[in-house]
Amino acid sequence: MTDKNMRFLVVDDFSTMRRIVRNLLKELGFSNVEEAEDGQVALHKLKSSQFDFVVTDWNMPNMTGIELLRAVRADPTLKHLPVLMITAEAKKENIVEAAQAGASGYVVKPFTAATLDEKLAKIFQNMNK
Amino acid sequence: MSDQAINSGDNDELQALFDSIVNAGASKPAAAPPPAAAQAVVDDASSRAAAFTAAIETLDEPARSMFSSIGQLTRKVHDALREMGYDKSLEKAAAAIPDARDRLAYVATLTEQAANRTLNAVDAAQPLLNRIESDSATLQADWDKLFAKQLSLDEFKNLVGRTREHLKTSAHGAKVTNEQLLEIMMAQDFQDLTGQVIKKIVDMAKEMEGALLEFLVQFSPAGMGGGAPQKTLAEIDSSLENGPVYKTDGRTDVVTDQAGVDDLLASLGF
Repeated sequence: MTDKNMRFLVVDDFSTMRRIVRNLLKELGFSNVEEAEDGQVALHKLKSSQFDFVVTDWNMPNMTGIELLRAVRADPTLKHLPVLMITAEAKKENIVEAAQAGASGYVVKPFTAATLDEKLAKIFQNMNK
Repeated sequence: MSDQAINSGDNDELQALFDSIVNAGASKPAAAPPPAAAQAVVDDASSRAAAFTAAIETLDEPARSMFSSIGQLTRKVHDALREMGYDKSLEKAAAAIPDARDRLAYVATLTEQAANRTLNAVDAAQPLLNRIESDSATLQADWDKLFAKQLSLDEFKNLVGRTREHLKTSAHGAKVTNEQLLEIMMAQDFQDLTGQVIKKIVDMAKEMEGALLEFLVQFSPAGMGGGAPQKTLAEIDSSLENGPVYKTDGRTDVVTDQAGVDDLLASLGF
């Protein structure tokens, strides 16, 4: 059983998209959600407090989602964190790049609540293995 | 390009173009003109035509006739552009870019506002509906008990009172929810506004494209005109930060939906 209290960090430079993801997570029972507007802010938050899950966009100023992902995987204290990418980048190259960098899942925008639910479930399943 | 420059029939662009044609010709070994003559053409702008003619006189065939036809062609193209108003349309196209930028900023603002309005309305209506839902469930359970003759008279009185209160709350909740739905509907008006603005930008882009393409066709050396824009597109494509794919027709390097993402990852063993 998934801990509904787990702490999410939603990273996107568009506040509306952060809001939508936050609402969808709430709909799925996860209401412990923090936000960051780019990779740099996100990395700072991840290092300064405890999180259980990262949902990130790709294309952002200062530090992109893929850079954030690499930084997380390179950090011994953070590398275990599941990172789900939710992005409009739909090139195969992008998807392969993300998978190779260690993304836990990849969702293309526009997406539905059902897709998010399914990807989260799959990631939790893999975590519990 | 200022009006004055256009009216005088002479300007820096024409000079630069002229120079580039002269230099391009000079680089071809078979048709190489004497360097001194070519230099004179470039340096002396006022007596350029005369110098050009003189320079041509010093050349042998077929270089002579080639340079002479290039000169005539250049003049013809320049005059034709003016007659057909291309200089004006290019000027218009250049002036339209800041306008397009502003329009796009407007589209971004409007769509953001619409998204926020909609999300606010959802935030306002959801708690009310949640309450009506949970109250209804509780009341229904109590009414079921009544029909199973499990309620005392006092409990029944209490139930009736709560039911009455619930009906009032529900009516209010429905009214507020309706208002929020209306708000959501109204927030979609951005579609109309941004649609119009985007249509204008598309028209403008078409106009610009036409003018620039015409310009390229007239002026670029043979074999270069068509290739350049395609190369630019390929350059943009090689980046990993392209944003939404707004056109998937004829592209094999992108996925079109989530199923495509999942299939690709599965095929790679992720």
